[in-house]
Amino acid sequence: MTKMNRRDFLRASSAMAAASFAATPGLTFAQVAGGPGPFTDYKALVCVFLFGGNDSFNMLVPRSVAEHDVYAASRQNLAIARDDLLTITPATPDGTDYGLHPAMTAMRDLFNEDRVSFVTNVGPLIEPVTKETFFNGSATLPPQLFSHNDQQDQWNSLRGNIPSKTGWAGRMADLVQSAVANQQMPTNSSLFGTNLLQSADETVAYVMGPGGPVPFQGFSLDETSLLYQQRLAFLEILGAEHGSVYERAFADVQRRAITTADTITAAIDNAPDLTTVFPAGPLATQLETVAKLIAVRDDLGMQRQVFFVATGGFDSHDNQNEDQPGLLGGVSESITAFFRATEELGVADQVTTFTQSDFGRTLTSNGDGTDHAWGGNQLVVGGAVKGGDLYGSYPLLEIGGDDDVGGGRMIPTISADQYAATLARWFGIPDADLDIVAPHIDNFAVRDLGFMV
Amino acid sequence: MRNLLILATSLLLAACGGGGGSDAPSPPAGPPPPPPLAVTKAEAYQLLNQATFGATEAEADRVIALGIEGWIDDQLAKPPSRHLPYVQAQELPEFIGQLNAERLSIWFDRAVHADDQLRQRVAFALSEIMVVSQVGVLNAYPYALAGYYDVLAVNAFGNYRDLIEDVTLHPAMGIYLSMLGNEKPNPVLNIRPDENYARELMQLFSIGLVELRPDGTVVTDLDGVPVPTYDQSIIEGFAHVFTGWTFTGARSFRQARPTRLNQVLPMELYPDFHDTGSKKLLNGIVLAPDQPGEQDLADALDNIFAHDNVGPFIAVRLIQRLVTSNPSPWYVARVASVFDDNGMGERGDLGAVVKAILMDPEARPDMPMEIDGKLKEPLLRLTQLWRAYDAEAANGKYLLYPSFFLGQGPLQSPSVFNFFSPFYAPPGEIRNSSLVAPELEIATEFQNTMVTNFFFFQVFGLNSASTDLDEDDIYIDLDEEIALAADIDALIDRVDEKLLAGQMSDPLREQMVNMLGRLGPDDTVLRAAEAVYLTVTSPEYAYQR
Repeated sequence: MTKMNRRDFLRASSAMAAASFAATPGLTFAQVAGGPGPFTDYKALVCVFLFGGNDSFNMLVPRSVAEHDVYAASRQNLAIARDDLLTITPATPDGTDYGLHPAMTAMRDLFNEDRVSFVTNVGPLIEPVTKETFFNGSATLPPQLFSHNDQQDQWNSLRGNIPSKTGWAGRMADLVQSAVANQQMPTNSSLFGTNLLQSADETVAYVMGPGGPVPFQGFSLDETSLLYQQRLAFLEILGAEHGSVYERAFADVQRRAITTADTITAAIDNAPDLTTVFPAGPLATQLETVAKLIAVRDDLGMQRQVFFVATGGFDSHDNQNEDQPGLLGGVSESITAFFRATEELGVADQVTTFTQSDFGRTLTSNGDGTDHAWGGNQLVVGGAVKGGDLYGSYPLLEIGGDDDVGGGRMIPTISADQYAATLARWFGIPDADLDIVAPHIDNFAVRDLGFMV
Repeated sequence: MRNLLILATSLLLAACGGGGGSDAPSPPAGPPPPPPLAVTKAEAYQLLNQATFGATEAEADRVIALGIEGWIDDQLAKPPSRHLPYVQAQELPEFIGQLNAERLSIWFDRAVHADDQLRQRVAFALSEIMVVSQVGVLNAYPYALAGYYDVLAVNAFGNYRDLIEDVTLHPAMGIYLSMLGNEKPNPVLNIRPDENYARELMQLFSIGLVELRPDGTVVTDLDGVPVPTYDQSIIEGFAHVFTGWTFTGARSFRQARPTRLNQVLPMELYPDFHDTGSKKLLNGIVLAPDQPGEQDLADALDNIFAHDNVGPFIAVRLIQRLVTSNPSPWYVARVASVFDDNGMGERGDLGAVVKAILMDPEARPDMPMEIDGKLKEPLLRLTQLWRAYDAEAANGKYLLYPSFFLGQGPLQSPSVFNFFSPFYAPPGEIRNSSLVAPELEIATEFQNTMVTNFFFFQVFGLNSASTDLDEDDIYIDLDEEIALAADIDALIDRVDEKLLAGQMSDPLREQMVNMLGRLGPDDTVLRAAEAVYLTVTSPEYAYQR
């Protein structure tokens, strides 16, 4: 009952906001929902978004002869030979053996150290779906299945059929606002541009470059410098009244850029050098910057952070066999290096890295690649992860099988809501607020998948 | 209030018989039409920032001389200035991808100098709707990229049906969305046709995901859920249509390899690799089996072209690229009706659509509203500066990799979804008012800093007074401003006239007076640069009225 009231309030307040151009300072989520109390510790979530739709049934593959035969019959020229798979031994046997893509040796080692687990056949759902309810139309389905941007939005917003401008990490940041009052940068920050995951009603994510914030070349904080006056002039110009909504929005970003960059740049300049060596590549560059920001968390008063990093190229309609080793190898080595960096910083138990991707891909081939599908496998890495295991039920990879809605598109058996809720609970979101983060969580029997300590 | 005003305007138009399609007014007999209303400089600048790569005083004089409609008609008649012949004339570099530097150079050259500004600007808009990108495999196909851009320019004022056929069969698109080399199914090997192009052609280039009313608003079912335009079975139908095509002139389908020539020629059908089954299309149409592949393609594109969504879909996309992020439904409906019928019974006349977009009262408002207009893309903020200040390098080229500094560049989108989404709404008043501002998606703290820094280097470091310029340094001509710089007010007025049509806001002028006063009267170069720098980094310059 209290939940309903809260939802009603939120709906009403957004309607009120829509009625007027004036930014009406409303009650915050935290004030309405209660929210968590002040935190005494530090925790960070790092979302690694694999843009394009990772073909994750080639990332985590059945290795038992019978299941591999079914897999190989479905995938044909895209199948990975059984002998090439990197053996892993999940802590909880399900009767099938599994292996990793041969390019993921670093991830295999991390699995053997119990630092990584896989969540299997997970994807956007509004409620549990079976092949029968899918085809007889009785299931409520997420809109525009198999479309890139829509399914990215589903993973990030978890809002199903309700158009949403906020993401689940954005809603978490709103919920913890009053518990992290001394933070000098926002809870959410991105190293890969604007994203729906971190979008919120109350808080604003900070977007920096892959190497961190870029300083303004034309400004100085030295009060005797002309460039100090320049900075003041800029702020005055930005702060003036502007006649259009576009100028005001532009000025808001510019003002945040000027003020936040100073704070973070000053802190990062004091960061100790890491001895962990990161591989080359855009994902590793972003993760190395995240490690540096985590290193200066105390200087910035940070207690809760969500970082968004990403890499693309996973939309393997073409040349999949040629491209996949580099893609998955890059993910494996970059995330592993980042985990080592968190060990070096002594925060391995406080930092959890997880993947998201548009969708899994068709088991069937289009000749030399695959098309857009639905469920897939994701990986979760960190000292707080109950590692070395698989969570969820791995489907039989059979064309026309119980989980296939056509062409080898697997119906997810775990929802992205459950995945997010499990991470959110670890992050410190009270159970009563989980449905704000993951709005359809009550439609599923299990609220916590159990992969976090 | 705004809606009332628009409603009143649209009613007025309806009463005059304007905006409709079927009842083309007969030419007036008797007195000649009144001369066009005098155009102010500010009005000319508004048009030019919508319709070119940036307003200049010289072009504004032409608008004033010809009138708004006269200038548009003049532009519609100009032939395309192409990019490909220039790229083809360049020496082969060590790595073929390096030739993209020349592709970008001619793009900037056209943006700064070409006479067919409107055509080039519409081609740029189309390149952000029917996206192919150098980022990825196409980096190795600079000829295909330049040729694709020319296809957009050639068709910019032609018919939409021709445009989507040329886009569909261009190897750049064939490679980018993997229709090139797409084969008929092989059930034994679980191989089915590639769905990539089928999906994005419908989702992004023509009809979109959901049914639209003629005014662009979304049709919903009784539960308020948007009604989808197609399902997976229709995507599969189109995917089967798009089988059997690859580079022209190959010895065989599977041995087709790119050459300098075949990457700029339409793809060719190899019938043995085309699916011969029936194919489910939109609106309940099913193609009969055993049609020739060319017939399948023509029928499938006709099927999309006939869909009621195309008019409003393309109207919204083009209005957003040229005029405003938030057109009213009435504006969309007026433009869509011109798409449906140009007044002479032709559907899909893009020249007429562009003219309708620019001539619409919402594009030429008497009383601007705070949601009119849009944010300028970083690339357009740069080209406007370059046009106003005659940017050039000693070697005659424009060698710049814009994505690094500006977060965008011609045919350099990170994905087929363009640099920004048509639906993006930044947090705050825009989102709370259910408005959108697509360009704000890349106006992040990071990117704004990069753009601001770029302008800093450009204006202070690369101008006509700079010493030791390299032959490839692109510099702006500040001579006129430098000559005026001893007189602060005269300097500001000149910059204001060139970049803002004399409409600079008081707060910007006030800060500028203050900053320029801190520089001595002999620091003429610094003063000139400072005035330009504060202007081009200001919110009012970033805003397209």
